[in-house]
Amino acid sequence: MKPRKSSGLIALSATALALPGISLSDAPPAQSSAFYKISNYSEDDLERSESPFGDLERYDIDVHQFRLISPIGRNFSFSLDANHETMSGASPWYTSSDSNGDPIVALSGASGIYDERSEVSFSTSYYLSQGTVSGTAGYSEENDYRAIYYALGGSRNFNSELTTLSFGYSYSSDEIFPTDAALFNRVKHERKNSKSGVVSVSQIISQNSTYQVSLSISEQAGFLSDPYKLKDVRPSSKTQIAFTNSFRHFLQKNNAAVHVNYRYYHDDFGISSHTIDSSWHQNIGRSLRVVPNIRYYTQSAAYFFTNIADFTIPNNAYQSSDYRLSAFGALSGGIDLVFNYGRWSTILSAERYVANDSFAGYAVNRPSASLVKFNRFSIGFEYIF
Amino acid sequence: MKSFNLSLIMILSMSTLNSCQQVRPWERGMLARPEMAWDSDPLGGLLQDHIFFSKEASSGGNTAAGGGCGCN
Repeated sequence: MKPRKSSGLIALSATALALPGISLSDAPPAQSSAFYKISNYSEDDLERSESPFGDLERYDIDVHQFRLISPIGRNFSFSLDANHETMSGASPWYTSSDSNGDPIVALSGASGIYDERSEVSFSTSYYLSQGTVSGTAGYSEENDYRAIYYALGGSRNFNSELTTLSFGYSYSSDEIFPTDAALFNRVKHERKNSKSGVVSVSQIISQNSTYQVSLSISEQAGFLSDPYKLKDVRPSSKTQIAFTNSFRHFLQKNNAAVHVNYRYYHDDFGISSHTIDSSWHQNIGRSLRVVPNIRYYTQSAAYFFTNIADFTIPNNAYQSSDYRLSAFGALSGGIDLVFNYGRWSTILSAERYVANDSFAGYAVNRPSASLVKFNRFSIGFEYIF
Repeated sequence: MKSFNLSLIMILSMSTLNSCQQVRPWERGMLARPEMAWDSDPLGGLLQDHIFFSKEASSGGNTAAGGGCGCN
């Protein structure tokens, strides 16, 4: 059995890079830059107590990312993004209870699972005297999922260029066509679409500090359930709102920068969350930067979440035992090493992520049996020419 | 109550904008440093966003993102 996995949604995030944050100058980049990064993402196996039978191995994913940014004339820039992922492993299939009434989970079966995702997107920006206009179009495809998307954005500087107002809009049209649909009585072909809008204000506070506040609203409509889970029925629409604050401060005495970000999120599945992360960017000499970082996340559960699937309720009744809809908390941390030498730079990254219901800042009425833990390692290169 | 809290956070956030100094263009060298960028590792940030999008229920923020993903 094949699981489905990621889609071109990540590429919509690429739009973020086309949407200016704070404008220190409204001009195309002076030189072209090429980026390449390879990463390995590996989830810990489940405990035998969480899944008494079958395979325990979860996902292992290799990711290749490439980006090229280049100026075109005096007022345009162009960027190309290409990503490729290969994935093997398994994901939770259904939940039930053990003899004590505690939730247990069955994985989809690790043997033979393999999938790939390829994606490409193009962006362009036009630079005005006091702002920018940008656009992105992209396409993502995997064995069981296809996404076509576009995004538009712009920014305007005012207040002696101390303040930047930015806005963006994106739309994605997605198709879902699960593998082995007939064999496992899954849906054969479904669609969903997503619209998202964001407004942000960036402000220079001092010679060493900047601040950004953003509000984003997203609407999804269509098939929002998980076709690979045995009992998963979700509403056919979802509205999400996220409110984000970002702060950057440079400490000249320490030759270091500190980043702090906070996000509040809420959707009409009943999920609220808080996310706070911080990183310290320590320069050491002229060629090395060390960046330790830490993140805390907590969310409440969806109103239709259950940790033990009920196979007796009608098929049109909302229910999901997807651990991602449960109440939990997660701690993660890592370190980046950035080496700069001439036109080249290299970045090495390591990250550890642990989700646990005991970390939750919200009430956990139904703890999930399959919260994820993972490691990520990356090496990336940048060349300026 | 939730919308009140959100409004309060927004008002407090926006009020900080009033306490800003006048910073001339030639005084913005520190702000232009790569480690002061909103996203100092764009590809790494993109990948992290994708992972968190896949493994947590929340998404969105200071970017125009909004499509569908069947991530497991």
